[in-house]
Amino acid sequence: MSGEGANLPLILLVEDNEAIRNAFAILLRESGYRVIEVASGSAAIETSATDRPDLILLDLGLPDVGGLEVARALRSREETRETPIVALTGRALETDAEACYAAGCTGYLTKPIDTEQLLRVLPTYLNPQE
Amino acid sequence: MIELRLYLEGDDRDADRLRELLAHEGFRVVESSGSDAPQPTVVGIREVLARRVEDLERTILELRNLDVAKSQFLTNVSHELRTPLTAIVTYGEILRDGLLGELAPRQREAIESMINSCRQLLSMIEEILTYARTNARAIELQPTEFELEDVVGHVYDMNASLIQQKHLRYEAKVNSGLPMVWADRDKVVHVLGNLIGNAIDFTPPDGILRVEARRWQQNPAWLEVVVEDSGIGIDPKHHEMIFQEFAQVDASRARMHHGTGLGLAIARKFVQLHGGRIWVESELGAGSRFYFTLPSVEAGRKLGAA
Repeated sequence: MSGEGANLPLILLVEDNEAIRNAFAILLRESGYRVIEVASGSAAIETSATDRPDLILLDLGLPDVGGLEVARALRSREETRETPIVALTGRALETDAEACYAAGCTGYLTKPIDTEQLLRVLPTYLNPQE
Repeated sequence: MIELRLYLEGDDRDADRLRELLAHEGFRVVESSGSDAPQPTVVGIREVLARRVEDLERTILELRNLDVAKSQFLTNVSHELRTPLTAIVTYGEILRDGLLGELAPRQREAIESMINSCRQLLSMIEEILTYARTNARAIELQPTEFELEDVVGHVYDMNASLIQQKHLRYEAKVNSGLPMVWADRDKVVHVLGNLIGNAIDFTPPDGILRVEARRWQQNPAWLEVVVEDSGIGIDPKHHEMIFQEFAQVDASRARMHHGTGLGLAIARKFVQLHGGRIWVESELGAGSRFYFTLPSVEAGRKLGAA
Protein backbone atom coordinates (compact mmCIF):
# COMPACT_ATOMS: atom_id res chain seq x y z
CA MET A 1 0.00 0.00 0.00
CA SER A 2 1.77 3.11 -1.19
CA GLY A 3 -0.75 5.95 -1.16
CA GLU A 4 -2.27 7.30 2.04
CA GLY A 5 -5.97 7.84 2.52
CA ALA A 6 -8.30 6.94 -0.28
CA ASN A 7 -6.52 3.75 -1.28
CA LEU A 8 -6.86 2.16 2.11
CA PRO A 9 -9.82 -0.20 2.53
CA LEU A 10 -12.78 1.46 4.22
CA ILE A 11 -14.41 -0.40 7.09
CA LEU A 12 -17.77 0.48 8.58
CA LEU A 13 -17.66 -0.39 12.25
CA VAL A 14 -21.11 -0.89 13.82
CA GLU A 15 -20.90 -1.26 17.61
CA ASP A 16 -23.04 0.39 20.27
CA ASN A 17 -20.58 0.17 23.14
CA GLU A 18 -18.34 3.21 22.95
CA ALA A 19 -15.30 1.69 24.65
CA ILE A 20 -15.32 -1.34 22.39
CA ARG A 21 -15.96 0.77 19.31
CA ASN A 22 -13.04 3.08 20.12
CA ALA A 23 -10.77 0.13 20.78
CA PHE A 24 -11.56 -1.50 17.44
CA ALA A 25 -11.27 1.83 15.65
CA ILE A 26 -7.76 2.31 17.04
CA LEU A 27 -6.84 -1.26 16.16
CA LEU A 28 -8.10 -0.98 12.59
CA ARG A 29 -6.65 2.50 11.92
CA GLU A 30 -3.26 1.47 13.28
CA SER A 31 -3.39 -1.59 11.05
CA GLY A 32 -3.89 0.27 7.80
CA TYR A 33 -7.63 0.67 7.39
CA ARG A 34 -9.90 3.64 7.15
CA VAL A 35 -12.77 3.43 9.62
CA ILE A 36 -16.23 4.94 9.88
CA GLU A 37 -17.82 4.38 13.27
CA VAL A 38 -21.54 4.16 13.92
CA ALA A 39 -23.40 3.12 17.06
CA SER A 40 -26.75 1.93 15.77
CA GLY A 41 -28.35 -0.26 13.16
CA SER A 42 -30.22 2.58 11.51
CA ALA A 43 -27.01 4.63 11.21
CA ALA A 44 -25.30 1.57 9.74
CA ILE A 45 -27.88 1.27 6.99
CA GLU A 46 -27.77 5.00 6.19
CA THR A 47 -24.00 5.33 6.25
CA SER A 48 -23.35 2.23 4.19
CA ALA A 49 -25.51 3.65 1.40
CA THR A 50 -23.63 6.96 1.23
CA ASP A 51 -20.06 5.95 2.11
CA ARG A 52 -19.91 2.59 0.33
CA PRO A 53 -17.56 0.78 2.75
CA ASP A 54 -15.44 -2.14 1.53
CA LEU A 55 -16.40 -4.21 4.56
CA ILE A 56 -18.88 -3.97 7.43
CA LEU A 57 -18.06 -5.15 10.94
CA LEU A 58 -21.43 -5.62 12.56
CA ASP A 59 -22.11 -6.14 16.25
CA LEU A 60 -25.18 -8.34 16.56
CA GLY A 61 -26.27 -6.99 19.93
CA LEU A 62 -27.41 -3.54 18.80
CA PRO A 63 -30.00 -1.65 20.80
CA ASP A 64 -32.29 -0.35 18.06
CA VAL A 65 -32.54 -2.75 15.16
CA GLY A 66 -31.25 -6.27 15.84
CA GLY A 67 -27.95 -7.05 14.15
CA LEU A 68 -29.35 -9.87 12.04
CA GLU A 69 -32.09 -7.55 10.83
CA VAL A 70 -29.48 -4.97 9.86
CA ALA A 71 -27.64 -7.65 7.91
CA ARG A 72 -30.81 -8.60 6.05
CA ALA A 73 -31.58 -4.94 5.31
CA LEU A 74 -28.05 -4.38 3.97
CA ARG A 75 -28.32 -7.43 1.74
CA SER A 76 -31.61 -6.23 0.28
CA ARG A 77 -30.05 -2.95 -0.89
CA GLU A 78 -28.29 -2.46 -4.15
CA GLU A 79 -25.28 -0.60 -2.62
CA THR A 80 -24.47 -3.27 -0.07
CA ARG A 81 -25.66 -6.42 -1.79
CA GLU A 82 -22.08 -7.64 -2.27
CA THR A 83 -20.29 -5.92 0.63
CA PRO A 84 -18.70 -8.43 3.00
CA ILE A 85 -20.42 -8.35 6.40
CA VAL A 86 -18.56 -9.84 9.35
CA ALA A 87 -20.79 -10.32 12.39
CA LEU A 88 -19.44 -9.88 15.90
CA THR A 89 -21.39 -12.18 18.17
CA GLY A 90 -21.47 -13.44 21.72
CA ARG A 91 -20.55 -17.04 22.36
CA ALA A 92 -21.81 -19.84 20.16
CA LEU A 93 -24.82 -20.55 22.34
CA GLU A 94 -26.24 -17.10 21.87
CA THR A 95 -26.43 -16.68 18.15
CA ASP A 96 -25.74 -19.61 16.00
CA ALA A 97 -23.61 -19.44 12.94
CA GLU A 98 -26.40 -20.62 10.71
CA ALA A 99 -28.62 -17.68 11.65
CA CYS A 100 -25.69 -15.36 10.82
CA TYR A 101 -25.23 -16.85 7.37
CA ALA A 102 -28.97 -17.03 6.73
CA ALA A 103 -29.20 -13.29 7.40
CA GLY A 104 -26.53 -12.70 4.76
CA CYS A 105 -23.37 -12.35 6.83
CA THR A 106 -20.15 -13.34 5.09
CA GLY A 107 -18.54 -14.51 8.30
CA TYR A 108 -18.63 -14.09 12.03
CA LEU A 109 -16.28 -13.71 14.97
CA THR A 110 -17.16 -14.50 18.56
CA LYS A 111 -16.52 -12.03 21.35
CA PRO A 112 -14.18 -11.39 22.99
CA ILE A 113 -12.68 -10.84 19.59
CA ASP A 114 -9.10 -11.99 19.35
CA THR A 115 -7.48 -8.95 17.74
CA GLU A 116 -4.81 -11.02 16.00
CA GLN A 117 -7.46 -13.26 14.52
CA LEU A 118 -9.48 -10.25 13.38
CA LEU A 119 -6.51 -8.73 11.57
CA ARG A 120 -5.72 -12.10 10.02
CA VAL A 121 -9.19 -12.70 8.61
CA LEU A 122 -10.01 -9.19 7.39
CA PRO A 123 -7.89 -9.45 4.22
CA THR A 124 -9.50 -12.78 3.33
CA TYR A 125 -12.93 -11.15 3.37
CA LEU A 126 -11.71 -8.08 1.52
CA ASN A 127 -9.96 -10.06 -1.24
CA PRO A 128 -11.77 -13.40 -1.33
CA GLN A 129 -10.05 -14.53 -4.54
CA GLU A 130 -6.56 -14.46 -3.03
CA MET B 1 -46.81 -36.44 75.17
CA ILE B 2 -48.16 -34.76 72.11
CA GLU B 3 -51.85 -35.00 71.68
CA LEU B 4 -52.99 -35.09 68.12
CA ARG B 5 -56.54 -34.00 67.73
CA LEU B 6 -58.26 -35.05 64.60
CA TYR B 7 -61.77 -34.25 63.71
CA LEU B 8 -63.06 -36.84 61.39
CA GLU B 9 -66.22 -36.33 59.56
CA GLY B 10 -68.70 -39.02 58.70
CA ASP B 11 -68.07 -42.70 58.93
CA ASP B 12 -66.88 -43.59 55.49
CA ARG B 13 -64.26 -46.22 54.93
CA ASP B 14 -61.34 -43.82 54.60
CA ALA B 15 -62.07 -42.32 57.99
CA ASP B 16 -62.28 -45.76 59.59
CA ARG B 17 -59.04 -46.74 57.98
CA LEU B 18 -57.37 -43.60 59.30
CA ARG B 19 -58.71 -44.22 62.82
CA GLU B 20 -57.28 -47.69 62.74
CA LEU B 21 -53.96 -46.52 61.41
CA LEU B 22 -53.58 -43.79 64.03
CA ALA B 23 -54.55 -46.11 66.84
CA HIS B 24 -52.03 -48.62 65.60
CA GLU B 25 -49.32 -45.94 65.62
CA GLY B 26 -50.11 -45.14 69.24
CA PHE B 27 -52.09 -41.94 68.84
CA ARG B 28 -55.03 -41.22 71.02
CA VAL B 29 -57.87 -40.49 68.72
CA VAL B 30 -60.38 -38.06 70.13
CA GLU B 31 -63.62 -38.72 68.44
CA SER B 32 -65.96 -35.86 68.10
CA SER B 33 -68.86 -35.52 65.86
CA GLY B 34 -72.21 -33.87 65.63
CA SER B 35 -73.10 -31.09 68.04
CA ASP B 36 -70.22 -31.45 70.55
CA ALA B 37 -67.53 -30.88 67.90
CA PRO B 38 -66.08 -27.36 67.74
CA GLN B 39 -67.77 -25.88 64.75
CA PRO B 40 -64.91 -24.50 62.67
CA THR B 41 -62.67 -27.52 63.02
CA VAL B 42 -65.03 -30.11 61.73
CA VAL B 43 -63.46 -30.54 58.35
CA GLY B 44 -63.28 -33.55 56.14
CA ILE B 45 -59.77 -35.00 55.91
CA ARG B 46 -59.93 -34.88 52.13
CA GLU B 47 -60.70 -31.18 52.16
CA VAL B 48 -57.77 -30.50 54.47
CA LEU B 49 -55.46 -32.44 52.24
CA ALA B 50 -56.78 -30.80 49.11
CA ARG B 51 -56.18 -27.38 50.62
CA ARG B 52 -52.65 -28.32 51.70
CA VAL B 53 -51.89 -29.64 48.24
CA GLU B 54 -53.24 -26.43 46.72
CA ASP B 55 -51.07 -24.34 49.06
CA LEU B 56 -48.01 -26.38 48.20
CA GLU B 57 -48.68 -26.19 44.50
CA ARG B 58 -48.99 -22.43 44.75
CA THR B 59 -45.74 -22.22 46.70
CA ILE B 60 -43.95 -24.38 44.16
CA LEU B 61 -45.17 -22.18 41.34
CA GLU B 62 -44.05 -19.04 43.17
CA LEU B 63 -40.62 -20.56 43.80
CA ARG B 64 -40.30 -21.59 40.17
CA ASN B 65 -41.15 -18.09 39.03
CA LEU B 66 -38.63 -16.66 41.47
CA ASP B 67 -36.01 -19.07 40.18
CA VAL B 68 -36.65 -17.98 36.60
CA ALA B 69 -36.48 -14.32 37.66
CA LYS B 70 -33.20 -14.97 39.46
CA SER B 71 -31.75 -16.71 36.42
CA GLN B 72 -32.86 -13.82 34.24
CA PHE B 73 -31.16 -11.43 36.62
CA LEU B 74 -27.99 -13.52 36.49
CA THR B 75 -28.14 -13.44 32.69
CA ASN B 76 -28.48 -9.66 32.63
CA VAL B 77 -25.70 -9.08 35.13
CA SER B 78 -23.31 -11.44 33.35
CA HIS B 79 -24.09 -9.81 30.06
CA GLU B 80 -23.44 -6.34 31.43
CA LEU B 81 -20.18 -7.47 33.05
CA ARG B 82 -18.97 -8.95 29.83
CA THR B 83 -19.15 -5.85 27.68
CA PRO B 84 -16.66 -3.64 29.55
CA LEU B 85 -14.37 -6.61 30.07
CA THR B 86 -14.32 -7.21 26.35
CA ALA B 87 -13.25 -3.60 25.90
CA ILE B 88 -10.45 -4.03 28.48
CA VAL B 89 -9.12 -7.12 26.69
CA THR B 90 -9.15 -5.35 23.35
CA TYR B 91 -7.31 -2.29 24.67
CA GLY B 92 -4.84 -4.64 26.33
CA GLU B 93 -4.15 -6.39 23.06
CA ILE B 94 -3.75 -3.07 21.26
CA LEU B 95 -1.11 -2.06 23.80
CA ARG B 96 0.55 -5.48 23.79
CA ASP B 97 0.86 -5.51 20.05
CA GLY B 98 2.61 -2.17 20.10
CA LEU B 99 -0.05 -0.40 18.07
CA LEU B 100 0.26 2.63 20.35
CA GLY B 101 4.03 2.51 20.57
CA GLU B 102 6.63 -0.13 21.32
CA LEU B 103 6.72 -1.54 24.85
CA ALA B 104 9.66 -2.68 26.93
CA PRO B 105 9.62 -6.47 27.51
CA ARG B 106 8.59 -6.05 31.16
CA GLN B 107 5.71 -3.82 30.19
CA ARG B 108 4.61 -6.33 27.60
CA GLU B 109 4.71 -9.12 30.16
CA ALA B 110 2.59 -7.12 32.59
CA ILE B 111 0.00 -6.44 29.93
CA GLU B 112 0.05 -10.07 28.88
CA SER B 113 -0.81 -11.10 32.45
CA MET B 114 -3.57 -8.55 32.55
CA ILE B 115 -5.05 -9.93 29.34
CA ASN B 116 -4.84 -13.51 30.59
CA SER B 117 -6.63 -12.62 33.81
CA CYS B 118 -9.33 -10.78 31.89
CA ARG B 119 -9.82 -13.76 29.61
CA GLN B 120 -10.14 -16.03 32.63
CA LEU B 121 -12.74 -13.72 34.11
CA LEU B 122 -14.55 -13.61 30.79
CA SER B 123 -14.71 -17.36 30.52
CA MET B 124 -16.15 -17.58 34.03
CA ILE B 125 -18.78 -14.99 33.15
CA GLU B 126 -19.48 -16.95 30.00
CA GLU B 127 -20.02 -20.07 32.08
CA ILE B 128 -22.44 -18.31 34.43
CA LEU B 129 -24.26 -16.89 31.45
CA THR B 130 -24.61 -20.32 29.88
CA TYR B 131 -25.84 -21.77 33.15
CA ALA B 132 -28.35 -18.98 33.73
CA ARG B 133 -29.63 -19.34 30.21
CA THR B 134 -30.09 -23.08 30.50
CA ASN B 135 -32.14 -22.41 33.64
CA ALA B 136 -34.12 -19.40 32.54
CA ARG B 137 -35.85 -21.23 29.76
CA ALA B 138 -36.04 -24.65 28.27
CA ILE B 139 -33.14 -25.25 25.92
CA GLU B 140 -34.02 -26.52 22.54
CA LEU B 141 -31.53 -28.81 20.93
CA GLN B 142 -30.73 -28.25 17.30
CA PRO B 143 -29.46 -31.67 16.36
CA THR B 144 -27.63 -32.38 13.11
CA GLU B 145 -25.55 -35.28 11.81
CA PHE B 146 -21.82 -34.89 12.21
CA GLU B 147 -18.59 -36.78 12.73
CA LEU B 148 -17.26 -36.83 16.29
CA GLU B 149 -13.79 -36.64 14.83
CA ASP B 150 -14.48 -33.06 13.65
CA VAL B 151 -15.56 -31.99 17.11
CA VAL B 152 -12.56 -33.66 18.74
CA GLY B 153 -10.28 -31.82 16.32
CA HIS B 154 -12.08 -28.52 16.83
CA VAL B 155 -11.90 -28.71 20.62
CA TYR B 156 -8.21 -29.63 20.41
CA ASP B 157 -7.56 -26.55 18.27
CA MET B 158 -9.30 -24.37 20.85
CA ASN B 159 -7.05 -25.75 23.59
CA ALA B 160 -3.85 -26.42 21.66
CA SER B 161 -1.89 -23.50 23.08
CA LEU B 162 -2.73 -24.45 26.70
CA ILE B 163 -1.84 -28.09 26.05
CA GLN B 164 1.48 -27.06 24.57
CA GLN B 165 2.20 -24.59 27.38
CA LYS B 166 1.89 -27.39 29.94
CA HIS B 167 3.80 -29.85 27.72
CA LEU B 168 0.97 -32.35 27.97
CA ARG B 169 1.13 -35.36 25.72
CA TYR B 170 -2.11 -35.31 23.79
CA GLU B 171 -3.52 -38.39 22.09
CA ALA B 172 -6.80 -38.54 20.23
CA LYS B 173 -8.29 -41.77 18.99
CA VAL B 174 -11.47 -41.85 16.98
CA ASN B 175 -12.16 -45.31 15.61
CA SER B 176 -12.70 -45.38 11.90
CA GLY B 177 -16.09 -46.58 10.74
CA LEU B 178 -17.75 -44.91 13.69
CA PRO B 179 -21.30 -43.84 12.80
CA MET B 180 -22.15 -40.15 12.74
CA VAL B 181 -23.78 -38.73 15.85
CA TRP B 182 -27.17 -37.05 15.97
CA ALA B 183 -26.67 -34.16 18.36
CA ASP B 184 -26.49 -30.41 18.82
CA ARG B 185 -22.95 -29.71 17.69
CA ASP B 186 -22.44 -26.52 19.75
CA LYS B 187 -23.53 -28.34 22.89
CA VAL B 188 -21.20 -31.27 22.22
CA VAL B 189 -18.32 -28.82 21.62
CA HIS B 190 -19.22 -27.23 24.95
CA VAL B 191 -19.25 -30.55 26.83
CA LEU B 192 -16.01 -31.84 25.35
CA GLY B 193 -14.41 -28.40 25.75
CA ASN B 194 -15.32 -28.42 29.41
CA LEU B 195 -13.92 -31.92 30.04
CA ILE B 196 -10.71 -31.18 28.19
CA GLY B 197 -10.39 -27.81 29.94
CA ASN B 198 -10.71 -29.55 33.31
CA ALA B 199 -8.23 -32.22 32.31
CA ILE B 200 -5.69 -29.52 31.38
CA ASP B 201 -6.27 -27.63 34.64
CA PHE B 202 -5.95 -30.67 36.88
CA THR B 203 -3.01 -32.34 35.18
CA PRO B 204 0.51 -31.25 36.18
CA PRO B 205 2.96 -30.31 33.40
CA ASP B 206 4.30 -33.17 31.23
CA GLY B 207 1.21 -35.26 31.94
CA ILE B 208 -0.97 -37.18 29.52
CA LEU B 209 -4.31 -36.22 28.04
CA ARG B 210 -6.23 -38.76 25.97
CA VAL B 211 -9.48 -38.43 24.11
CA GLU B 212 -11.22 -41.40 22.60
CA ALA B 213 -14.51 -41.84 20.76
CA ARG B 214 -15.88 -45.33 20.27
CA ARG B 215 -19.08 -47.35 20.25
CA TRP B 216 -20.69 -47.68 23.64
CA GLN B 217 -20.41 -51.29 24.69
CA GLN B 218 -23.71 -51.31 26.56
CA ASN B 219 -25.60 -50.12 23.51
CA PRO B 220 -23.81 -50.09 20.15
CA ALA B 221 -26.35 -47.63 18.68
CA TRP B 222 -24.73 -45.09 21.01
CA LEU B 223 -21.26 -43.60 21.02
CA GLU B 224 -19.06 -43.06 24.00
CA VAL B 225 -16.47 -40.33 24.42
CA VAL B 226 -13.72 -40.73 27.00
CA VAL B 227 -11.49 -37.94 28.26
CA GLU B 228 -8.65 -39.35 30.28
CA ASP B 229 -5.90 -37.51 32.11
CA SER B 230 -2.96 -38.37 34.33
CA GLY B 231 -3.84 -35.60 36.76
CA ILE B 232 -4.53 -35.36 40.47
CA GLY B 233 -7.69 -37.49 40.32
CA ILE B 234 -10.91 -37.27 42.30
CA ASP B 235 -11.81 -39.11 45.47
CA PRO B 236 -14.72 -41.50 44.70
CA LYS B 237 -16.79 -39.90 47.46
CA HIS B 238 -16.88 -36.71 45.37
CA HIS B 239 -17.84 -38.33 42.08
CA GLU B 240 -21.52 -37.42 42.33
CA MET B 241 -20.96 -34.01 43.88
CA ILE B 242 -18.77 -32.63 41.09
CA PHE B 243 -21.69 -32.73 38.67
CA GLN B 244 -23.76 -30.50 40.92
CA GLU B 245 -24.02 -26.74 40.57
CA PHE B 246 -21.42 -24.57 42.28
CA ALA B 247 -19.46 -27.60 43.44
CA GLN B 248 -15.74 -27.43 44.02
CA VAL B 249 -14.20 -30.39 45.74
CA ASP B 250 -11.94 -28.33 47.97
CA ALA B 251 -10.06 -25.09 48.14
CA SER B 252 -6.82 -26.45 46.70
CA ARG B 253 -8.59 -27.77 43.64
CA ALA B 254 -10.42 -24.47 43.28
CA ARG B 255 -7.07 -22.69 43.15
CA MET B 256 -5.85 -24.91 40.34
CA HIS B 257 -9.02 -24.50 38.43
CA HIS B 258 -10.30 -20.92 38.75
CA GLY B 259 -13.73 -22.23 37.86
CA THR B 260 -17.23 -21.24 38.78
CA GLY B 261 -18.17 -24.80 39.69
CA LEU B 262 -20.76 -24.77 36.94
CA GLY B 263 -18.89 -26.42 34.10
CA LEU B 264 -19.74 -30.04 34.85
CA ALA B 265 -23.30 -29.18 35.87
CA ILE B 266 -23.80 -27.59 32.46
CA ALA B 267 -22.08 -30.50 30.74
CA ARG B 268 -24.36 -32.96 32.51
CA LYS B 269 -27.42 -30.95 31.55
CA PHE B 270 -26.40 -30.89 27.89
CA VAL B 271 -25.63 -34.61 27.81
CA GLN B 272 -28.92 -35.48 29.49
CA LEU B 273 -30.82 -33.34 27.01
CA HIS B 274 -29.51 -35.72 24.36
CA GLY B 275 -30.71 -38.66 26.41
CA GLY B 276 -27.13 -39.51 27.24
CA ARG B 277 -25.17 -40.18 30.41
CA ILE B 278 -22.04 -38.61 31.85
CA TRP B 279 -19.92 -40.11 34.60
CA VAL B 280 -16.42 -40.33 35.99
CA GLU B 281 -14.01 -43.04 37.05
CA SER B 282 -11.17 -41.80 39.17
CA GLU B 283 -9.18 -42.14 42.34
CA LEU B 284 -7.08 -39.60 44.16
CA GLY B 285 -3.67 -39.40 42.55
CA ALA B 286 -4.57 -41.80 39.76
CA GLY B 287 -5.89 -39.51 37.05
CA SER B 288 -9.47 -39.26 35.87
CA ARG B 289 -11.57 -40.74 33.09
CA PHE B 290 -14.71 -38.84 32.19
CA TYR B 291 -17.24 -40.59 29.96
CA PHE B 292 -20.30 -39.36 28.14
CA THR B 293 -22.60 -40.95 25.62
CA LEU B 294 -24.30 -39.57 22.54
CA PRO B 295 -26.82 -41.14 20.17
CA SER B 296 -25.73 -42.24 16.73
CA VAL B 297 -27.86 -41.01 13.84
CA GLU B 298 -29.84 -44.24 14.00
CA ALA B 299 -30.52 -44.01 17.75
CA GLY B 300 -31.10 -40.25 17.62
CA ARG B 301 -33.77 -40.51 14.97
CA LYS B 302 -35.61 -43.03 17.12
CA LEU B 303 -35.35 -40.73 20.13
CA GLY B 304 -36.65 -37.83 18.07
CA ALA B 305 -39.57 -39.87 16.81
CA ALA B 306 -40.52 -41.10 20.27
